[in-house]
Amino acid sequence: MTEVPKDYDVLVLGGGVGGMESALTLGDMGFRVLLVEKEPSVGGRMILLSKVFPTLDCASCISTPKMAAVSNHPNVRTLVYSEVDDIEPQDGGGFLVHLTRKPTYIDPAKCTGCSQCETACTVAIPDEFNYGLSGRHAAHIAFPQAVPKKAVITRTGSSPCTFTCPAGVKPHGYISLVRAGKYEEAFLQHLEDAPFPGVLSRACYAPCEEGCTRGLLEGSVNIRAIKRFMADRYYAAHPEPALVPPAPSGKKVGIVGSGPAGLSAAHFLARRGHAVTVFEGDSEPGGIMRWGIPSYRLPKDVLARDIRNVTALGVEIKTGQRVRSVDELLQKGFDAVFLATGDTGGRRLSVPGEDLPGVWDAMAFLHEINARSSLSFHGKEVVVVGGGNVAIDSARSALRLGAKRVRMVCLESRPEMPAHRWEISDAEEEGVEVLPSWGVREISGEGGHLQSIELKRCTAVFDAEHRFRPVFDESTLQRLETDIVITAIGLVPDTSPFVGELAMNRNGTIRVNPETLQTSLPRVFAGGDAVSGPSMIVTSIGQGKRAAFSIDHFLRGETMVPGEFDFRIPEADKVSIASRSRALGTVREPSHLTRTPAAERIQSFDEYEGTLDEAAARSSANRCLDCGGCSDCRECVAACPADAIDLGMRARHESLSVRTVALATGFTPFDAREKPAFGYGRFPNVITGPQMDRILAPTRPFNAVLRPSDGKTPSNIAYVLCVGSRDEQVGNRLCSRVCCMYSVKQAQLLLGALVSTEVTFYYLDIRAFGKGYEEFFQQTKEMGVHFVRGKVGRIEETDGNDLIVHYEDIEGGGGQKTARHDLVVLSTGLLPTQGAAALFPKGAPEVDDHTYIREVDADLEPGVTTLPGVFVIGSATAVRDIPDTIVHSDAASAQIASYLKKGGAKT
Amino acid sequence: MTEPEQAPKVPRRIGVVVCQCGGNISDYVDTEKVRAEIAKDPDVVSSRVEMFACSDAAQQASVQEIREKKLDGLVVCSCSPKLHLATFRAMSARAGLNPYEYTQVNIREQCSWAHTHDREGATGKALRLVRAGVAHTEGTEPLQRIRVETIPQVLVIGAGVAGLRLALALSDMGLSVHLVEKSDHAGGNVARWGTLFPSDRSGEEVTGQLIEEVRGRQNIQLYLRSELVEKSGRVGAFSVRIRTGTGDTIPLTVGAIVVATGFEPYQPAQGEFGYGLEGVVTLPELKEMLAKEPRSLTYHGKEVRTIVYVYCVGSRLPEGEGVQRTYCSRYCCSATSHVSTTLNSVHPELHQFHLFRDIRTYGRYESLYEGARRAGSVFLRYGEEDPPEVSRDDQGLLVRLKDRLMAGEPVEIRPDLVVLVTGMAPRPNEELNRVLKLPIGTDGFYREIHVKLRPVETVVDGVFIVGTAQGPKNVAESVASSLAAGSKTGALLLRGHVELDPQVARVDPTLCTWCGECQAACPYGAIDRVLYGDKEVAQVSPVLCKGEGGCVSACPKQAVSVLGYTHSQITAMIDALAREEA
Repeated sequence: MTEVPKDYDVLVLGGGVGGMESALTLGDMGFRVLLVEKEPSVGGRMILLSKVFPTLDCASCISTPKMAAVSNHPNVRTLVYSEVDDIEPQDGGGFLVHLTRKPTYIDPAKCTGCSQCETACTVAIPDEFNYGLSGRHAAHIAFPQAVPKKAVITRTGSSPCTFTCPAGVKPHGYISLVRAGKYEEAFLQHLEDAPFPGVLSRACYAPCEEGCTRGLLEGSVNIRAIKRFMADRYYAAHPEPALVPPAPSGKKVGIVGSGPAGLSAAHFLARRGHAVTVFEGDSEPGGIMRWGIPSYRLPKDVLARDIRNVTALGVEIKTGQRVRSVDELLQKGFDAVFLATGDTGGRRLSVPGEDLPGVWDAMAFLHEINARSSLSFHGKEVVVVGGGNVAIDSARSALRLGAKRVRMVCLESRPEMPAHRWEISDAEEEGVEVLPSWGVREISGEGGHLQSIELKRCTAVFDAEHRFRPVFDESTLQRLETDIVITAIGLVPDTSPFVGELAMNRNGTIRVNPETLQTSLPRVFAGGDAVSGPSMIVTSIGQGKRAAFSIDHFLRGETMVPGEFDFRIPEADKVSIASRSRALGTVREPSHLTRTPAAERIQSFDEYEGTLDEAAARSSANRCLDCGGCSDCRECVAACPADAIDLGMRARHESLSVRTVALATGFTPFDAREKPAFGYGRFPNVITGPQMDRILAPTRPFNAVLRPSDGKTPSNIAYVLCVGSRDEQVGNRLCSRVCCMYSVKQAQLLLGALVSTEVTFYYLDIRAFGKGYEEFFQQTKEMGVHFVRGKVGRIEETDGNDLIVHYEDIEGGGGQKTARHDLVVLSTGLLPTQGAAALFPKGAPEVDDHTYIREVDADLEPGVTTLPGVFVIGSATAVRDIPDTIVHSDAASAQIASYLKKGGAKT
Repeated sequence: MTEPEQAPKVPRRIGVVVCQCGGNISDYVDTEKVRAEIAKDPDVVSSRVEMFACSDAAQQASVQEIREKKLDGLVVCSCSPKLHLATFRAMSARAGLNPYEYTQVNIREQCSWAHTHDREGATGKALRLVRAGVAHTEGTEPLQRIRVETIPQVLVIGAGVAGLRLALALSDMGLSVHLVEKSDHAGGNVARWGTLFPSDRSGEEVTGQLIEEVRGRQNIQLYLRSELVEKSGRVGAFSVRIRTGTGDTIPLTVGAIVVATGFEPYQPAQGEFGYGLEGVVTLPELKEMLAKEPRSLTYHGKEVRTIVYVYCVGSRLPEGEGVQRTYCSRYCCSATSHVSTTLNSVHPELHQFHLFRDIRTYGRYESLYEGARRAGSVFLRYGEEDPPEVSRDDQGLLVRLKDRLMAGEPVEIRPDLVVLVTGMAPRPNEELNRVLKLPIGTDGFYREIHVKLRPVETVVDGVFIVGTAQGPKNVAESVASSLAAGSKTGALLLRGHVELDPQVARVDPTLCTWCGECQAACPYGAIDRVLYGDKEVAQVSPVLCKGEGGCVSACPKQAVSVLGYTHSQITAMIDALAREEA
């Protein structure tokens, strides 16, 4: 059988000390090695240690040469931040390896390791390399001696707020900026993602808050309020925009309609340098934002200021110019046209009496009051028909016009009402009466005067398929005396001018490609309510943004890749984030906005919601859980001197062929939370051995040995051995080999670092078995460390965060005893790393009773697994200390070399 | 006083990197001050402080600096050259700077760590050391490594389980093996050991299979009753002589030598825990008994109903004279747990008492300990200050012990057999040590370069130590260490050549008058007498020379110097060290 040439002789999976040793030895022998490491740096667990027993060599000092050697070895290619997905045996020998190179969001070729992104980053998350003792930034270099020394941005998913926003606004981003006190940056970031921060900070229904993970805890982060704080603050400081139009592209775009969709498209197109003209039939721009939303919800000056951000980019808005046909625009020489004509007016009730004077269409009514008319409902009774947000706006406006009684009737039952629940409760608070489950039978009047409206009971609004198909009980009727009826039962899209020119949908909306928003005419795009039917402002802004994206591609002659517009990565896992936060137990209640009391606020159309002060805004922003890691605030982009940040980077997949595989996947540290009686995770001064190693390391998180609760120097430290080892309760009966010695080593270092500290060991056997270990242990005893033979049953905490250790004193007379310590170190053990089997879907190497990868003959054939061509190194087959890992790695390398030299057919 | 005339100094372009070692240095030495001071030297054209000079990023920065500033010399002030000389030489080479124009200055072990309570003094000393380093670098010249061919043959000394298994691995890699065994049979200790833990296989069977496979290999030659008696040459091409049982000596040329000479079981002194009394045996003696008679358990014809094991005999002793027995023998706890479980499985009624200090069934061997307890063994802990007493009276054997669990209450056991769990002791190997001159630790075992990271390599390039010759190990660990040496040997020999350090001695023939002092001083046989014009002078073979400098001090004419450490360099360094700056 002839063997197909392979890309590599050996795949070494895992860049810890064992993997590195093997890669170097095999490389020295002349084999081509591919070393794959899932973390951003090679070095494994050893590089995180302080010093190593029994020589007390500095772990960094003896690891870094190997790390550097691996990355510089001519025969070794090292892929960090990469995961092997599966390993497939090939006919004729060898394996096909599928691997994923996880996105670092920073171009490693450009990154110089200068850490500026780290300094600029606004997100702090627990530092896994310090075992959670301290925080780190989302943009970070794993540790100072990392190889390669390249920054990586941690993004575990799109944060739910950002993932949810229909306009592609990134709340996590501006919240993290507000938290950092970077208010202007926060505002400008919003402007980059969507126009109208002022409008959205008031009139958005804030689906981001619905998505917010904190909603699973004490309540969502009040994102909209934070936005309003930053928008108000920015506008107070900058009454006029300081934006400069970009260099012109030479292309012209005509936009019909100056509502949220039209102006959003204008905004993004102008930012790409296109000359944009917006045609607006009305006297002022803004569409629904100008004419549909009453000013107590959205002051007109805020809208005007938002619009000036768009016009400052060079967008020309021609008001009073109603466009009658697409052709008319194309004739004017526009390279592309965007139709965003929105809705023209309300749907009709089609009941008798609908045309009586005193019956208003809601849109016409809201237009009237927004045109600052002198309309007054003083002393009148008003009935609003409809259960949506427009109906609510109409009812509350009617109150403000002086109506003495305002009732809302709607087909839907209360929970079915389409208006947002807070809108309904605000309206009711102001005095609006809501009558759900009623349909209109007729409107009647006398002598041309409206007198009453007759209602019939609505028993169901939707059918089984949730289609709108109301059912009425014509026998249950009610008549309301009223002076005014306002109908708000839905909106009709304004597309009539284009009926002959463009393909239309049956409901009167314009037919488009949903991905590109392109109509049946290539140069013509359409979006907003004219396409989707009635929707929300933020959705229309998103449509305008999408249209701008595809029009820009169109104008540049580029084809749009499906899905390209969507910048998001999959949503971060809310449930696990919430449970992580719950475990931390920090409770932070949301802060609330100030509001004018209902009785007072209905006296005028003035805005009634207050804005957060700076302290409240920052503490609100501090409630953010940083769900996805990176917030997308883009401070790093601005800070990076090498222009290396690429937030659009995505995972890359590679397939490579190798002749052999060496699994060096190491061990998994025991999670001390699984011994709840010891209080780890609950008592701040109970830490683990690996954490103490970090505290003692040269790259330590704090500058001294201290206890976490109060930063004081500990004076009486306890070591509890065999935590997670030799313990059937936690499912690990084996000894972890290293804990006795690392604890003994730490004791020596502690006695060297702290002048008058007592150290006590609670142990069963001290397993100082390796070369030089026993002597090291004896030396430690002579230094004055107390060794108490006995098992610890439980640990309790005192008021001052000291700890009471309950132990069985086996040799001091027996019985249960207690001792007080101010710091307890749990000597946690090592467990097998799981998951190697999943890499081999077509048959995996066998594991032993303890789920370590099994060696066919542990005595004579170290490193040889049950799968030919697959080898195992170091702790992946049984936990080992460093010297034994080195020996085992080199032994496995000899096995691999033998296998390869014999043509890979060793039995 | 007039200064002696000096050769005009050639200006150099030297870069200096001062390493903080993440606080190891900078906590005690003002690294920035050191940098600023040395930057004043006219030959120093660049200087930096780095948190970890050895880190990848810092190395890249150094490479860039060497290239951009066209440096012709580099000084890194960091740790001992033992740690990072090779690192920074390789880095220099990557940057295009001859690695021998690099100088390492040790301001950690020899400065910051030695003066942790005197920052000012340590800073001053560091500065002097750096100045000396710069002075040394001013005198460097580019040197090329000496490339020599290697012989694809390996000498393995000792045909126990480690040596046998290694021979097969080397043979698999395509290297020829000469396997030399002192005794008249291969298999070593394991062959006599009976049942092995944890595999439950017979040691004789295991070694028997290995021997059979070794005999079947074309490229393995097994020499019994043979010894290494002579070694010369250098890494990649050693000339050795083997004396065989017939008294012949066979000359061989090998690329590498692996020492797999194993251990000796510790032999208790008469009276040590009752050794010498009837019924007191060592663990290996028990194992041999059981290997011969696996089914019945009798001692001198009498059935054994109770056994007492005394652990740590010959191990974990206090420091004493001569060879230290302070070490733990590592394998004995697991082996004894295994033996007792095996015995209980055949003789369920047998009572077994284990008198131990700490049970060290580390890692997965914990299940052997657990198995022994489940099978009915009783474990009693004794303290090193209160060892058990073994005696014999008219009723038979008596073991007395203070039970630590029962607050020191005296316990008496009357066993039929006392087994002293003896540890591993180093072999004397006098002849071999004379030939190989390997360093030996205080425990009597061969000493590796670095116990953590280079456990099978020795200070002699191309000579490896494996198995229990390096320290106590069980079978699996011995084999792993032998195969580890196998891969290191492969890395050395499979490429067909090695490169040697060019920092070797050189004779200035104009000064040499041949007195022979240098030749007598050289332990490597690297110096020959040759004709230079019409006079006889000394000449150094760069391949054989180790650059150790014995010849330099022997020469009455100062005609010999070691490249990289010339007389003028040393003088310049001393001047720099002693110089008082204003």
